[in-house]
Amino acid sequence: MKTIKLLIIIAILPLLAFTTAHKYYLSVTNIEYVSEKQSVQIISRIFIDDFEALIRQRYDEDITLDASKEETQIDFYIEKYLKEKIKIKINDSIKTLVFIGKEYEDDILYCYLEIENVTAIKSFKITNQILFDLFDEQQNIVKLKINSKNKSFVLIQENDKAMLKFN
Amino acid sequence: MKKFKYVFLSLVFISLSAIAQDQKQPERKQGHTNQNKFKQLYDEFATPNMFRTGSGAPGPGYYQQQADYKMDIVLDDVSIKLYGYETITYTNNSPDELKYLWLQLDQNVRAKDSKSPLIKVELKAQRLSSFTRAYLKDKFDGGFNIQKVTDAKGKPLPYMINRTMMRIELPTPMHTGDKFTFSIKWWYNINDHVDGRGRSGYEYFPEDDNRNYVIAQFYPRMAVYNDVEGWQNSQFWGRDEFALPFGNFEVNITVPADHILDGTGRLMNRKEMFSKEMMKRYAKAKKSYNEPVLIVTQAESEAAIKIKSDKTKTWKLYAENVRDFGFATSRRYIWDMMAVKIGNKDVMAVSLYAKEGNPLWEDWSTKAVASTLKSYSRMTFDYPYHKAISEHAKEQGMEYPMICWNYGRPDAQGNYSDRTKFGMMSVIIHEVGHNFFPMIVNSDERQWTWMDEGLNTFLQYVAEQDFGKWYPDALSVGQDAYPSRRGPAAKIVPYMGGDQDYISPIMTKGLNVHQFGNNAYGKPATALNILRETIMGRELFDYAFREYTHRWMFKHPTPEDFFRTMEDASAMDLDWFWRGWFYTTDYVDIGIKEVKKMYLTSTPTEEGIRISRRYRMDPNTLIYFVLEDSDEFNEGMRNGTPTENVSTLKEYLMDNFSEAERKNIKSPKYFYYVTFEKPGGLVMPIIVAYTYADGTSEKVTYPAQIWRLNDNEVSKAIASDKEIVSIKVDPDLETADIDTSNNSWPKEVEKSVFEEFKKKIKD
Repeated sequence: MKTIKLLIIIAILPLLAFTTAHKYYLSVTNIEYVSEKQSVQIISRIFIDDFEALIRQRYDEDITLDASKEETQIDFYIEKYLKEKIKIKINDSIKTLVFIGKEYEDDILYCYLEIENVTAIKSFKITNQILFDLFDEQQNIVKLKINSKNKSFVLIQENDKAMLKFN
Repeated sequence: MKKFKYVFLSLVFISLSAIAQDQKQPERKQGHTNQNKFKQLYDEFATPNMFRTGSGAPGPGYYQQQADYKMDIVLDDVSIKLYGYETITYTNNSPDELKYLWLQLDQNVRAKDSKSPLIKVELKAQRLSSFTRAYLKDKFDGGFNIQKVTDAKGKPLPYMINRTMMRIELPTPMHTGDKFTFSIKWWYNINDHVDGRGRSGYEYFPEDDNRNYVIAQFYPRMAVYNDVEGWQNSQFWGRDEFALPFGNFEVNITVPADHILDGTGRLMNRKEMFSKEMMKRYAKAKKSYNEPVLIVTQAESEAAIKIKSDKTKTWKLYAENVRDFGFATSRRYIWDMMAVKIGNKDVMAVSLYAKEGNPLWEDWSTKAVASTLKSYSRMTFDYPYHKAISEHAKEQGMEYPMICWNYGRPDAQGNYSDRTKFGMMSVIIHEVGHNFFPMIVNSDERQWTWMDEGLNTFLQYVAEQDFGKWYPDALSVGQDAYPSRRGPAAKIVPYMGGDQDYISPIMTKGLNVHQFGNNAYGKPATALNILRETIMGRELFDYAFREYTHRWMFKHPTPEDFFRTMEDASAMDLDWFWRGWFYTTDYVDIGIKEVKKMYLTSTPTEEGIRISRRYRMDPNTLIYFVLEDSDEFNEGMRNGTPTENVSTLKEYLMDNFSEAERKNIKSPKYFYYVTFEKPGGLVMPIIVAYTYADGTSEKVTYPAQIWRLNDNEVSKAIASDKEIVSIKVDPDLETADIDTSNNSWPKEVEKSVFEEFKKKIKD
């Protein structure tokens, strides 16, 4: 896994040849299981301009992602899209994601999702296809922190799943 | 015999002592070399010499080469080719004899046989787009076609091309002071910079079948020859930028007659190129210090798009003491200018953009240019050139002397988000700032990306903050400062606290670093900002930084020249800072290990006796600290003042101070023993806020040198009139501490970002 991760990083390096613009297509999703709250807490960080391009192409040409703009419609699209593209199975059963909300910081969109009432995790499986429908080169990094185990995965179109098992 | 007895005896002693110590005698450690974090950088730095001195200034033997260019360039907008005939006069100022010259053929990175694609590592699964580009499509041939290389008399010169480098054989070796003049005839196919992500090329607009050209590294360029590298002929793989000598450029550029063109240098035939109306507007712009004046309006540009001229015009530019040359040309351009006072002269701030850039570009580009020149001139030297141009190109951010291309485009309806707006302003500030680094303070970008990008990103932060102050209208509702992405310490924490497998030291050649943006831009910029705000203070830092730029303007500095000058001009030994921040991937993590109330006594404590022996002090003349939870503590110690409890102190005061003096002796009531820990590898000052029971607080900074003898933990005894209720390390987040969970006493429960957000949403 390490070598593959390293190879992927090397492969995206040549695309970063410029000065300040982000020229690579990347999202980072942190997932933490907080057992005392029986909660799986998910924070996805996505470049705003990528996500805006997606919403415009997929749903609505007139949307601009901006803190000062109409929120309800944006939230509706974000929730609809994320729930379609992120699938999580815990202990072999599909879980429902609750969309908590989103916020903007600099050029990043932070999306907060939660799975409630998780009493124990024996296995955890995630499919993350965010932006795969828009960019061939999209990579989704998933960082899991479950039962005091930390593990990162880089998901690409050809390999969009990650899995952890606990004994 | 005697010897035998001795050996026998010592064996007995050894075994006895081993038994006595319950066989817990620690193994004797091996010796070690000097691994101290404060060790001077003698091993890392080049030895000072006649070219570069130990002070960081150019030495008495410092030299640099000169390359002067005369070029005739033709841009063919129909076949999309660029043709050039250039004559270079090269001056050898080095003490060395040169048998050959090296030139850079940067466009060969786009040649069909370029090796750049070959160092891409392949995976077992590939994206369809890159698969198609690599295996199915015909490769674009964007390499140089060198037609001839001749001496001043037209005689062919032998040459050899090794990928992006060309070696020309000299008929006779060049000695110190010699000049050699030769010519090269060449052409190449201009690439689409949007498709192939090039620094140079064209953007195509299908709706009116036109191209905006941004043209750079378009001619065979002299490589740098110097005392550090000899010839800097490290290949151009596509990422590490350029190393170029200074020279004068006389360039004639022939383009379609209806094009607007601007580039490096003075326009020598302005009256020929400008209409009378344009000349009038230009005269007005030279007197306009607050608002840009349009030289070509949007209406004029839109009219020009409709008819294409089949005639050509030749723009003549001349630049002195520049290291490179770039230009932008299109019939689609709008053009505005305004004057900005730098020192006692006027500089023109200029913008070139097509209608796609509006309304953003007409509002802010030229003002951002002017503001940047002011900020950078204040922090370095007065901008020495006569103009600075910001040109608008899709997805670009690239710099050349006096001209740069920048992104930031509203949507088709002219709407733009804050992101687009601040992205555009930031990239303009950054790229215009590159005029100072590396265009004037001419570091070797091929080797050290951070030397221009890091220093420039640091000043970009300063300039962005100025811009927000000088143009509050540029900010959005609710903002009271410019939202800079890089600079403040806290912004680099996710990178420096990240996976060590994907972090490289700053002192790494750009081609070989992980996370290029964070490594070469973000981290050095943050390091310098921390140096300025927290370690040195603005007064010392700004003086030393300015001294560096003055010493090395129009010269070629190395990293050591920068590091040494910063110390030379400030009397701050910063080797520990350069070592940690620039030569390692260590991070900052400093915390509070424990805080204990303590009391004073004249009764020797166990540890006190050990200390008295180690330092050969009379145990009866010492004052001893007793921690609240130690065996030697008794409740009686809580009562009374130190002088009452410590008989030796009382006597000492009686013997050494008069009655009047004793009245002014302080009598602190509370004593604490505070132990700081340092899980992180970087040494940094410990910045501590002590908060007292009466609600007041006090900030104390212990210099980084506190870690010089123990790299893991250090303790301070604190005396106070007031009870301390809390202690916080790095309270203002100015050191890039990657883990703040150990920064507080009593321990603060780290708030979960997720829970915080959830709470916010509910409220």
